[in-house]
Amino acid sequence: MRSETAVGSISLDGVAVEREGRAILRDVSVELTAQRIAVIGANGSGKSTFARLLNGLVLPDAGRVTVHDLDSRRDTKALRRRVGFVFTDPQSQILMPTPAEDLALSLRGSPRTEIASRVAGALAEHGLTDRADVPASDLSGGQKQLLALASVLITEPRLIVADEPTTLLDLRNSRRVSDLLLALPSQVVIVTHDLDLAARCDHAVLFDAGSLLAAGTPDDVIAEYRGRCG
Amino acid sequence: MIQSYRLGASIVHRMSAGPKLALFAVLALVSSAYPHDGWSVTVSLVVVCTLYLVAGLPVRVLIAEIWRLRWLVLVLGTALWIFVSPLTAWISTSRVASLLLLAALLTITTRMGDLLAVLHRMLRPLRRLGVDADAVAMTISLTLTMIPVVAGFAHAVREAQRARGVRPGLRTTVPLMVRTLRHADEVGDALAARGLV
Repeated sequence: MRSETAVGSISLDGVAVEREGRAILRDVSVELTAQRIAVIGANGSGKSTFARLLNGLVLPDAGRVTVHDLDSRRDTKALRRRVGFVFTDPQSQILMPTPAEDLALSLRGSPRTEIASRVAGALAEHGLTDRADVPASDLSGGQKQLLALASVLITEPRLIVADEPTTLLDLRNSRRVSDLLLALPSQVVIVTHDLDLAARCDHAVLFDAGSLLAAGTPDDVIAEYRGRCG
Repeated sequence: MIQSYRLGASIVHRMSAGPKLALFAVLALVSSAYPHDGWSVTVSLVVVCTLYLVAGLPVRVLIAEIWRLRWLVLVLGTALWIFVSPLTAWISTSRVASLLLLAALLTITTRMGDLLAVLHRMLRPLRRLGVDADAVAMTISLTLTMIPVVAGFAHAVREAQRARGVRPGLRTTVPLMVRTLRHADEVGDALAARGLV
């Protein structure tokens, strides 16, 4: 089920995003090539908008976003196939009534037998086999997030962007999801307030008031963030 | 009357979704169109209840389904009893209850994905008329998925209001609508992120 190790380049060049006349991101330029990248910063600093740029959910008002050689404006469809996105609230991401059906949705268009075997494999891998046919709304918060993650991983994306994937989880499930994300062979961008999780990444970027403030090793960037928070 | 699928190995469960849907549709049509009297409608109701047992479902599932109909039975039955006759009340209420129990049995014994696949196949010929079978199937599926989600929002809003000493009332609908619309936005993003739109 897992994709092969495939670390590519994520490049933002002079990117600006505005909403209703308000600058959400301003003149962000960065090139990221690490496998596991943490994105940290205060609430409203532009982290989530940055994450959404990588999947084409948000298009830049100025500048250019290139992910694995795909331009987010020109190659949006191809980009979405290559970049999986995990939302903070898994409830928003679960689109079908049951876990098995939701996973199958990600594989629509594939032969039925292939869908059945891959869905069964994904359910087993994430400990959801016995929950395959229960209403998704009956899953626990941790199970919902695992399902949301599984529905992304089953498509074998080369880049996974997770927007605060552990925020709504208890400690055990938070660790489980963090471990899962960090163990993936594909490139991962994790937006998080969990500085322990950020510290386990290979690279980190810090946003503040819509600007990219720092990029570098997680230790340095976290220290910068702590220093600014007082 | 959209109930969740319950795993099972009965003949009703094993039947393919297409033939099962056709059979249930025929049963429903016959039950609706037949000029029932008091006895025949009772037989019809008993047959539907027996189908629950044939499907290997515990009796409590049947009781729960009947219990869900209590308000409908009460309102419809009482109105007909008062304004028409007790016999008409029994015939009409039993007829409606049979149909709804049959519909519930279909969704209890058939995976939603299988039903949607049948619907998708049925809609395919309408492509020439501009009907997008994928979009229709996805819309129905999303609607079914969102029912418990919105119910959860309503519960959360009620609890929040109770916690602040606000009486439930019409004002409940405003935060519920805001929350539901916000969720709809998020679902739209999720659809886009998964390349579905």
